[in-house]
Amino acid sequence: MSHILAKSRGLLLPLLLIGGWEYLSRQDAAGAYAFVPLSAIGAAFIELLANGELLVNLWASLARTSTGLALGIFFGVLLGVLMALSTLGNRLIGPLFHSIRQVPMLGWIPLIAMWFGNGEFSKVLIVSLAAFYPMVLNTWQGFSHVEQRYREVGQVLVLNRWQRFRHVLLPAALPSIATGVLQALAFAWVTAVGSELFLSSGAGLGNLMMNAEAGSRMEVIVLSVLCIGLCGYLMTLLFTLLSRHLLRWRNIR
Amino acid sequence: MNAIAQYAPPHSTSLQSGALHIRGLNKVYRIEGQPLPVLEDINLEVRPGEFVSIVGASGCGKSTLLRLIVGLEADYEGDILLDGKRIVATSLERGIVFQDHRLFPWMTLSQNIALALKNHPLSRAEKDRLVAEHIALVSLEGFENAYPHQLSGGMAQRAAIARALINKPKVLLLDEPLGALDALTRVRLQHELQRIWVQQRCTVIMVTHDIEEALYLGDRVIVMDAHPGRIKHEIKVDLPHPRDRASSVLQGYKEHLLEELVGH
Repeated sequence: MSHILAKSRGLLLPLLLIGGWEYLSRQDAAGAYAFVPLSAIGAAFIELLANGELLVNLWASLARTSTGLALGIFFGVLLGVLMALSTLGNRLIGPLFHSIRQVPMLGWIPLIAMWFGNGEFSKVLIVSLAAFYPMVLNTWQGFSHVEQRYREVGQVLVLNRWQRFRHVLLPAALPSIATGVLQALAFAWVTAVGSELFLSSGAGLGNLMMNAEAGSRMEVIVLSVLCIGLCGYLMTLLFTLLSRHLLRWRNIR
Repeated sequence: MNAIAQYAPPHSTSLQSGALHIRGLNKVYRIEGQPLPVLEDINLEVRPGEFVSIVGASGCGKSTLLRLIVGLEADYEGDILLDGKRIVATSLERGIVFQDHRLFPWMTLSQNIALALKNHPLSRAEKDRLVAEHIALVSLEGFENAYPHQLSGGMAQRAAIARALINKPKVLLLDEPLGALDALTRVRLQHELQRIWVQQRCTVIMVTHDIEEALYLGDRVIVMDAHPGRIKHEIKVDLPHPRDRASSVLQGYKEHLLEELVGH
């Protein structure tokens, strides 16, 4: 019994919040508009599920996030490794990278929109940029902090460059890279929805929200917000479980 | 000692030797531009198959000496010759066991040991056989798939010994290999080191803080002095292996050595 209670502690606050929400929605007309009743949200959920709008938009946002994330991880790891393992690379790229990453993601949107229009390419580009920064930083961190004592073992066993990378540096950097992916995941998801709000073309949860705002459908906006939060949570959870399995050699007690 | 038949490595055609000549060795570190001599005029001859223990106060450069012999540091004055060839880099001819086992935490025990064979032109099956053989040599059967954090300190150190031995090195360097272990485990592993060495007969140089350990295992015990590190004294332990820890002869050597170290 206490075990079940302990496990469900995380549900306590959300339930209280829902209760408070429902209470406020029943106070007066203004309250009912600002805090749409749960029943209205439920009805909107069923409606959008039935006409396919919810899934189409959710799928569009997820696909955008995944593509951008994959690109950001790939190029982020590449650049991070280059900066960590090559002094010349770090000298050449470091200053530029560190000044460019000071520009907030939202600051890029006007420029990217002017260059590439407001289509799919721009959105994926923005998402991959958002994933790119944390990947570069964490990969660099991981590769440049490999313990000297492990490098020496690679030297003693006369491993060649590739073997040292594959068997010593990469696994030693993996926990840091996993942290990067976790951050990149969160940024990518948030930025995907953000880009949909700013570049309103095509499908996506952001577009669903924009359209709902135009049609004053508060319950659809709230439903979208709930969807965004829940999906982000599930993705993070999934990746945390995956990395825990991949990094099971770590001594976490 | 030399009369004992050399252990013939199964996957090497060259005759196993392992004669080490160190002549006029000087090593200087630079700290903020200031030269700091760590080793001064070290001369040491080690016969093939000999077990040499090195003891001395901290800061006497014992570990630096091992790092030079294994090839982790190439910048030195004088000569370090293995079978006549000057040592300039690491090589599979020389193995080392550090005080911290330095097994890779991301590999299982058998993967860690197998990594040492990475650049051998052996078949997969042959490598697997060698790994299994060396796991058995250090009595770790059943732990092949354990990760280092699941092993005790003594077990991890045994695995490190197996990793160092699997290439059949001519010279095995032990840098305080049992220093971090509890007293009981240490005694057990000393016994085991002796058994393994009697079986393999490679040249061994062991740095230790433990005088009894140095005498129990070494054919010779080298006493080093600090600042700068130099060889101060040498004791020949004239007692065949395997030895009895309680031997009165060893006791006599111990008193002699203590006198030398503490300087009464």
